[in-house]
Amino acid sequence: MRWSKRLISSLVLSVLAAALADSQSLTLVHKKKYVMGTVFEVVAYHDSPTHASNAIDEAFQEIARLDSIMSNYKSDSDLSRLNRTAHFHAESVSPDLYRVIETSLRYSKLSDGEFDITVGPLVNFWKSVIRGERSRSPGDEANLRKCVGYNKIVLLPPDRIEFRCPSLQIDLGAIGKGYAVDRVVAILRSHGISKALVNAGGSTIYGMGFPPGESAWRVRLRDPSGKNNPEVLLSENSVSTSEQTASSLFGDNQAGHIIDPQNGEPVKTAIAVTVLAQTATDSDALSTTLLLLGPQKGSAVVKGISEAAAIWIAPSGQVETASSGPRISFVREGHPQIARERKADK
Amino acid sequence: MSNLIAVTKPVLPLLFVLLSNTAGSRVLVRWTQDIVPSAKRLGVTELVVPWEPGRLPLFRIAVNQGYHVYAETGVREASAAADSAAKTGIAGVVVSPGDEPLSSLDDTIRRLRTTYPKVAFLLANPNAIQPEMKGTLVINRDGILQVTSPTAQPWVDTNLALVRLEQAFRPAQVPLYSFRWNLTGAAQQQGPDVPDYALAVAEAAAFGADLILALHQNLEGGLAHDDSKAWATWDQVKQYVRFFPAQRRHLVPEANVAVITAEDPASFEPINLLARHNIGVRVLKPNLFNEFNLQHFDVAVVLSTPTKTGMQTISHFAGRGGTVVLVNANNVSYPWHSARPLRTSNASVSYSIGKGRIIELSEPIADPETFAQDVRRLIENKDIRMSLWNALTTIAVLYRGMDTGDKIVELLNYAEDPLEVQIRVKGAYSSVRYETPEHDCCETLKPVIRDGFTEFLVPSVYIAGRVHLKGKVNPPTPANK
Repeated sequence: MRWSKRLISSLVLSVLAAALADSQSLTLVHKKKYVMGTVFEVVAYHDSPTHASNAIDEAFQEIARLDSIMSNYKSDSDLSRLNRTAHFHAESVSPDLYRVIETSLRYSKLSDGEFDITVGPLVNFWKSVIRGERSRSPGDEANLRKCVGYNKIVLLPPDRIEFRCPSLQIDLGAIGKGYAVDRVVAILRSHGISKALVNAGGSTIYGMGFPPGESAWRVRLRDPSGKNNPEVLLSENSVSTSEQTASSLFGDNQAGHIIDPQNGEPVKTAIAVTVLAQTATDSDALSTTLLLLGPQKGSAVVKGISEAAAIWIAPSGQVETASSGPRISFVREGHPQIARERKADK
Repeated sequence: MSNLIAVTKPVLPLLFVLLSNTAGSRVLVRWTQDIVPSAKRLGVTELVVPWEPGRLPLFRIAVNQGYHVYAETGVREASAAADSAAKTGIAGVVVSPGDEPLSSLDDTIRRLRTTYPKVAFLLANPNAIQPEMKGTLVINRDGILQVTSPTAQPWVDTNLALVRLEQAFRPAQVPLYSFRWNLTGAAQQQGPDVPDYALAVAEAAAFGADLILALHQNLEGGLAHDDSKAWATWDQVKQYVRFFPAQRRHLVPEANVAVITAEDPASFEPINLLARHNIGVRVLKPNLFNEFNLQHFDVAVVLSTPTKTGMQTISHFAGRGGTVVLVNANNVSYPWHSARPLRTSNASVSYSIGKGRIIELSEPIADPETFAQDVRRLIENKDIRMSLWNALTTIAVLYRGMDTGDKIVELLNYAEDPLEVQIRVKGAYSSVRYETPEHDCCETLKPVIRDGFTEFLVPSVYIAGRVHLKGKVNPPTPANK
């Protein structure tokens, strides 16, 4: 017995020593690239910085490839072509585009239409209003609203898509970056990288493994009140944040980039929503969905998804949370505390 | 005679403002090695060497190698360095303020210039930052802290606001600044890449500033010891040094917005965000805030408390169609309060005055990003001097030739990755040509002239590029239509 305790102790020490030696040999490589209209960043630990750097470069190439498929800014992208030609006519698309649209429709059904990739024309309309390039026109808005509705998209497996409305346009801004993050994670894994953080402009972040000497990647969450200091520990999961564009200080413009598909107008809320999920595609899509649904309806959605959690924070500091597993903690005077869930959810 | 005075009075401040914005673009390489390559080979003519009395031989070597050499000192050692200038043949002294605010050194520099009239004294602003496209990662000693954010907009670290403030507050000198490299992980050992050096060089020059460029120890040591890899790196950076002519005094930056402010740190972020959104800005000190100096602007953002004269200027500027944003407006009764107020938000009230309006914000600017977008919307589309699309990582500066009326657009891409950018410049120009440090001048671009604007597509901005617009076409007069 005494002997076996010694054995176990020495084994534990050996493992710890090996882990320490391992962590000491790891070098941090940090790279970033502007693509998909945002800054993608990867931090990876590896014993060969060159290997890690090459793997990250390959992952960045993959994002550029996905951008050439899913961009609605580039006129020659697969999505732009689909937006031009799929009205009452089924078009074949790439597997990536089919998969993202299929996932989007799943979230549309799950949220009863609150998440909707057909709001694209309205998003563009309101973006140009924000920039001051055009003014609000109820007539224009009404025209653009006519073809909003996910149920006007028809999937014809394995790779064809048809639009059942003449001016329907898809915008993948609420899910595309999440999908790209998942592809980056897959590529890094295929190169033997197991400790990395993949960040799409701060709005979607995936933690692979954990950094040396830590048990997870620490991520501070967006808090419009500045009172709560919420954070999560990421390891093999993803976090995304959504928040409506801030209102004009001069009160002359209430536009925003997140559109409510139910009324075609920018959603009027100053709440920030952060979502934890197992994949970046899921957290990205869920964050917009839960911003539109609000905490009451959103909690039920979160509980229906495996290993998901969400936190809604108002500018006043009021917090609502929901979870089917992961925890969100608050840092108070340096000590993390676990967030309480909505009473209604218990 | 009386007419002469009437004309001279308003012209002088304008000339002062114009000349204060003439462009520099010298690269002063900071050198610490005992071996100095020739100026011809390094491709720069100015070196900055940290001052130490024991380094006099190094100063002599550098002078003999063909450089204008500047001794870099703190304020206390500036006189000693100047005394040695004659003995060693150095061109001047760069004074770094250390912890002291720059504004406190203006008098000191003036005294030094009077005492040592043959020595050039330059005041360096050490508060610049490495120009770069930022991510949202915060990497510090305790590890990595990632902060989520609601928008995916890229953040660009640029020194344009610093340069605009320097031009306003130290007009006697071309802005001169230095920065520390912001390197993490493996890059700390390897040093900055060629594009990072190139962007730093291009940024200062494009903004009309002089730069003290610190080389990473590996590069500087390699250049000193004739390492071929180091020279291969530097030869690429040299392309960017060559791309910017040293003096371009005939160019004036164009701006839609005047920001009136004292030298107050709180002014920095609003100006920074306006610059990041490619809204042309000129900073005016409160004593230059008058109707004449505002005549070419569409919006005046008043960050300092207006004097009685300032209030009159605000009223007159709005009366002839300008828009004034008065920030942190207190409760005193302003002259325009006789007009009917329109409350536009919890913190803002608008007054229609003549053809324009005055917006009072009752608070300081808490959200400079939203503020910048709001100011952009205050400028009517027909008046915007320059607009960019697909340019979230790009800063562009529009210049007008004082003699010719031709325009130049200096472009910087902080993503350091080729980018296609759409640009619209006010005015109709028949010739649009594009040049970059990587390619010989010039590629002809096809302009589209529409509604008094020239639109064109720049096919690829890697780090820096320059567009020349010439051949201004006058809009058709009603009789010609």
